[in-house]
Amino acid sequence: MDFAATFRNNRVRIFTLLILAMLFFAAVQGMETKDWVITVMRGLAAGAVVFLVASGLSLIFGLMDVLNLAHGEIFMLGAFIGWTVYVRPDTFFDVLTPILLVAVGFALTPVWNAVLGRWEFKGWLAKLVPWLAILLGLAMIVFSFANYPITKWHPDDFGNSPITNALELGQGIFVLPEPLPFEPFHPVVVLMGLLLGGALMAMGIAALSRHGKPTTTSKPDRLPYVIAGSLLIMALLIFVANDALSSWLFEMNSTWRFFIAMAVTTLFGGLLGGLIESTMIRPLYDRPIYQIMLTLGIGFIIVEITRAIWGRPSFTMPKPALWANTGEGCPATSLGEALTNQCSTMLLFDGRIRTYNEIFIILIGILVLIGIWLLIQRTRLGMIIRAGVQDSEMVEALGINVRRVFTLVFAVGVALATLGGVLAAPSTGLSLEMGVSVLLLALVALAIGGLSSFPGAAVGAVLVGLMQQFIIKYGGIGINLPFLEEPFKPSPPLVPASVVLLMVIILLILPNGLFGRSD
Amino acid sequence: MGNLLEIRDIHTYIGQFHILEGVSVEVPQGSIVAMLGRNGAGKTTTLKSVLGLTPPSKGTIIFDGQAIQGMRSFDIANLGIGYVPEHRAIFGALSVYENLLLAERKKGDLARKEDFIFTLFPDLKRLMKLSGTRLSGGQQQMLAVARALVPDNKLLLIDEPTEGLAPVIIEQMMAAIEELSSETTVLLVEQNFAVAGKLASEYTIIEEGQSVKNGVMADLREDKAAVHRYLGAA
Repeated sequence: MDFAATFRNNRVRIFTLLILAMLFFAAVQGMETKDWVITVMRGLAAGAVVFLVASGLSLIFGLMDVLNLAHGEIFMLGAFIGWTVYVRPDTFFDVLTPILLVAVGFALTPVWNAVLGRWEFKGWLAKLVPWLAILLGLAMIVFSFANYPITKWHPDDFGNSPITNALELGQGIFVLPEPLPFEPFHPVVVLMGLLLGGALMAMGIAALSRHGKPTTTSKPDRLPYVIAGSLLIMALLIFVANDALSSWLFEMNSTWRFFIAMAVTTLFGGLLGGLIESTMIRPLYDRPIYQIMLTLGIGFIIVEITRAIWGRPSFTMPKPALWANTGEGCPATSLGEALTNQCSTMLLFDGRIRTYNEIFIILIGILVLIGIWLLIQRTRLGMIIRAGVQDSEMVEALGINVRRVFTLVFAVGVALATLGGVLAAPSTGLSLEMGVSVLLLALVALAIGGLSSFPGAAVGAVLVGLMQQFIIKYGGIGINLPFLEEPFKPSPPLVPASVVLLMVIILLILPNGLFGRSD
Repeated sequence: MGNLLEIRDIHTYIGQFHILEGVSVEVPQGSIVAMLGRNGAGKTTTLKSVLGLTPPSKGTIIFDGQAIQGMRSFDIANLGIGYVPEHRAIFGALSVYENLLLAERKKGDLARKEDFIFTLFPDLKRLMKLSGTRLSGGQQQMLAVARALVPDNKLLLIDEPTEGLAPVIIEQMMAAIEELSSETTVLLVEQNFAVAGKLASEYTIIEEGQSVKNGVMADLREDKAAVHRYLGAA
């Protein structure tokens, strides 16, 4: 490793980082050590959440040149989905069956493609028939969904609103409501409606996208049947065992339930990302401005759907058991103690930090950082991504299907954002506005770190988190500035302003961000 | 033996610009065909049209008996066409080794071709761990050609491989292309007529987006008037 050359080429970067590091260490002069430790830990925790959102944005933007303005709302959606699995497992299982049944039809898309090869509609029929199929399928799905009893909260019914559900769960007095019956239609009618509706829609969409393209002659192997069959079996099993599954998940230790909620949400995020990319983003590859407008629109739609389902008021997510204890033996004095006593807080250098925020969230952030780094540096997919960020056209000329990689990267990016949401929920609560503030912080983090640089996203996120927490802290204790008599206390609106100011200063020194390259 | 590649009267637009207005090229199996013409004539666009990077709006392209116009670029490449673009397009973020590994189409391609590649370009062997940005222009060009040799390609589309290279490197590059042409058919775009004249067995000339003349290279070498007229050089 040529240290001299590396130092020479990155002089400005290294000096900037050194100065920032010195400033943060100098801040220790203005406050007690324990307060400094707490503020740094809080900064890292905030940075970890921002990192989860920013890393996805950076991967997507770097590889596909798509700035996904819906990323903040996806973060919010992740929180709401995670909350539902955690607080209302009955609702979760109720919704899972219809979704799986509709998915069966779409999983068979390769089969529809092969079957449709035998039929050729001429002229205007070629457009009309698929659209009829799509509309009919959609109508069947909507009809079935409307008649499918989903036991859930009611935002207007205070006794059964998300706020109350969460509060009661936190106090341990929440009881799952009785499941609603199927009326007036027999369950089989509704289930078949979902299955056939999904199949019809999938057939219609397959027919539309074949129009005008060279026909595929390949026969599908067994895989689509296997996938569709598994989805169908899962859907029916969940349907039959619905009550048992709901009770099982509800009565589970809340820590494990939370982990399940995290896994389900992340998986859902990945599937949603893949769906959005292949259906909405892909058709607009050569029209980047429309792509950005589209992502903005998707963001609005997500907010409205969320409002329609969960209502407007914000609510909480009770902390899982592992981080909830505030009584005997807490705050803990060591990590081991924190785990055994399941403490909510721990003492670090005499400062009291929260185990969930300042230990667990940071831990997940580090694990994700390592995981993605390994993916990018050590796998063939990572090699394709790194090459594609530079020149995706050449990658395709080498014989690699970059479109599939785009879909995968978009899916991973969205999955990370939803993970960030479910992770943030127990700490900050859930609101319809939570996406906007995190998106701003993530964009600033990317600007600071360098727009398509993945390590830049990490460093930028940490800087943003630290800056935010330090300014909040100074809002309480004040900064002793040499030319002022009274300590200066930044008011709350100055918190986001200061983060943006940090970005401006860094961009003045390094116009492409800390690790960005001009290309 | 037949033509491995036939470009039949293609028209290609880039945006609104009608770049190719009727280009036809035949590349016989096992030959090196030089595509000649002035700057901006449409040579690079022709290569890109074969690969589907700038798809033709009219005309057909037949590769190994199959019509490939309208196919996705990666599908075309996987039929056995390698591309060495103008300005090399090697990936600076990857090491030399990774650049080569990326070009694999089947696992083990690089392991099988390593010896052949290092015979043609011995310098690459010691550069394997370096990142692409640290290579000189000549080394990048060698890497770009080596990359196209990793999978089993039937046809190589090579765009101005000697541009900006020092004379001694040009010699090396020419020797390499001559050597690899024993296994692979080559369609070579080359502004440098000295290089093209020595390497290619046949030629085709593009002028203002149209094919204007083609034939056997031996004849063109004698025809100073034609060389001057179409290529503006002696």
